[in-house]
Amino acid sequence: MSRFLSREALLAWLDGLREGGTVVVAPTLVEGVSLYRQVPVASEIDLDASVTVVSPKEWLFPASHTIFTVERKDGRVDLRENTFDGRAVLFGLHPCDALGVHLMDVPFLAEPADGSYRERRERTALVGLSCIRCRPECFCTSVDTSPDDPTHLDVMLTLVEGGYVVAAASDKGEALLASAKPEEKALSLPEPPAPEKLPTEDLPRLFRALYDDGYWGRLADRCIHCNICSYVCPTCYCFDMRDYPRGNTAERVQSWESCQAPGFTRLAGGHDTRGSKAAKMRQRFAHKFLYFPETFDSQLSCSGCGRCVRACPVNIDIREIISDLKKIGVSSVGSGEK
Amino acid sequence: MVDEIRSKAKELLTDGTVECVIGYERATDGVTARPLFAYTAEEIDRFIMDNTCVHNLARYLLDRKGKPTAVVVKPCDSRTINLLVQENQIERDKVFAIGVTCPGVVEAHWGEASDEAQPRCVTCSLEVPAVYDYLVTMPGERQTRTGFPDLERMETMSPEERREFWERQFERCIRCHACRQVCPGCYCPICFVDQLDPTWVGIRNAPPENQVWHLIRAFHLAGRCIECGECQRVCPVGIPLMLLNQKLAAEVEGMFDFRPGLDAETLPPFAVFKKEELEAER
Ligand code: SF4
Ligand code: SF4
Ligand code: SF4
Ligand code: SF4
Ligand code: SF4
Repeated sequence: MSRFLSREALLAWLDGLREGGTVVVAPTLVEGVSLYRQVPVASEIDLDASVTVVSPKEWLFPASHTIFTVERKDGRVDLRENTFDGRAVLFGLHPCDALGVHLMDVPFLAEPADGSYRERRERTALVGLSCIRCRPECFCTSVDTSPDDPTHLDVMLTLVEGGYVVAAASDKGEALLASAKPEEKALSLPEPPAPEKLPTEDLPRLFRALYDDGYWGRLADRCIHCNICSYVCPTCYCFDMRDYPRGNTAERVQSWESCQAPGFTRLAGGHDTRGSKAAKMRQRFAHKFLYFPETFDSQLSCSGCGRCVRACPVNIDIREIISDLKKIGVSSVGSGEK
Repeated sequence: MVDEIRSKAKELLTDGTVECVIGYERATDGVTARPLFAYTAEEIDRFIMDNTCVHNLARYLLDRKGKPTAVVVKPCDSRTINLLVQENQIERDKVFAIGVTCPGVVEAHWGEASDEAQPRCVTCSLEVPAVYDYLVTMPGERQTRTGFPDLERMETMSPEERREFWERQFERCIRCHACRQVCPGCYCPICFVDQLDPTWVGIRNAPPENQVWHLIRAFHLAGRCIECGECQRVCPVGIPLMLLNQKLAAEVEGMFDFRPGLDAETLPPFAVFKKEELEAER
């Protein structure tokens, strides 16, 4: 037997949570563009959204965010943290995006944790939607998840005739479902789609071997270093900080930043450690396939969502890069088999 | 037609006129196009040319200053060469322009190329590149110039409605600055948005900052934007930037009878001072 929620019952459950004070963040169409937004009412959710243009990281790690405000008053200095003390549901995450959240957790929750991120993360439940179709640019099964994988989620929904099969994937999820009113039904789940499989095994070693290869320069020729790939990506987490002074107060603001931006690696004195187009281009992929796995337990820092593939204006395609590295690597540094 | 491009390109590489030919090849979706920097004859064999070839390749000349380069240009893109020569960014004799006459290109985004002409093509008045060293003809039914329909619709809106419209658009800007990166006219070594001292506009992604970003970007391109439409094409969240650019282009054309990049001789209005302008001011 499975627990079943009709479309209406699902929306009613979400509206109930919302009326109880929970913020519901879900895919909606903003002027025709699929984006995660806080929804005023559940019927505004785009339940059929496949992969949103910008990833759901927008909620846990906002595009820009005040960390704290300081104020000088009557001879003393007050520091007020910008806290989030509510509850939130991040709704409609496909398994790749759930993996994306996990891959953000890895650096942000490692001690010493990022306070603002931890606060939002702990107060947010992840409600996922398994995939009944995949897009040509999807490659989740090459990076440790799959179209029906509930890992890293709290609740998993699967679309069936007339509604959704709902399953708790954690205690937090079970608690969240307490207010849902599912029916018990004998239902069989649809066969998940099979995204393209890429040769990701052994990638960090290959990358290291090809670190100084001419490949990066040729790839960088057409890159316009536009930041889009980083900004739409669920696992790119670089940021910049600035202070906004105003009279007796100052705000510390954090905003997204990208390794492709001018000046990202410019040091005091003017030296740029990633000054060439090639070094810049390599940085994004080295972060995902070399530095991150070397630092954090061999995990690749990519969720296979394909957003960067779709959004890059000059078709720099991470799937092609993975295959190319394999090809060049096998011919120049051996297959890696012992 | 693509054979003509390929054989010219090979000739230029072989006789040493250029080191690199920038053209188009099929993208990994099998449908749209992407830029290809070809350094060898085998690479040149991958060149394609059709109505999905939307990118303004002349923008890359800024990355290849001083290096002899051939580039495939549509009429709109060709204006880039005049603009950049005039603004002393590139040397004309280092560039070999393979011009392509153009019936218009279509809306092409990852995985799909529609039949719909791009807005810039609907309003484009050039059929033949403004500058070229070799010319090939792309077959196809030519779009006719129909004025600026979207702009005309905007003009009927009240200032209040327009403000509301633009606030709604700018709200979703993620400030990736891709519209700047792709633009052939945006080459300042340090863009005003990246300047720390003084800080003209903060990094915060919020309405006041976003508005300043958009207005200064558009104004800095008034009389310089060559209407290649690339900024709007690349914007990941679909902000209709061409409405701003075309509005300013129309104003500049109305006031100074000038459209940038049509030739390399006529000086742009912001680079010249005429005594009569002072008179008119009085
Ligand atoms: S990458 Fe996998 S999980 Fe993500 S949308 Fe595609 S099929 Fe679904
Ligand atoms: S989206 Fe493409 S062009 Fe833009 S920075 Fe990323 S790889 Fe380069
Ligand atoms: S690198 Fe590309 S495919 Fe991987 S998680 Fe980021 S946007 Fe998705
Ligand atoms: S502003 Fe846009 S249309 Fe104008 S030249 Fe720059 S990229 Fe092209
Ligand atoms: S490309 Fe679009 S989202 Fe990016 S800065 Fe320009 S207008 Fe904003």
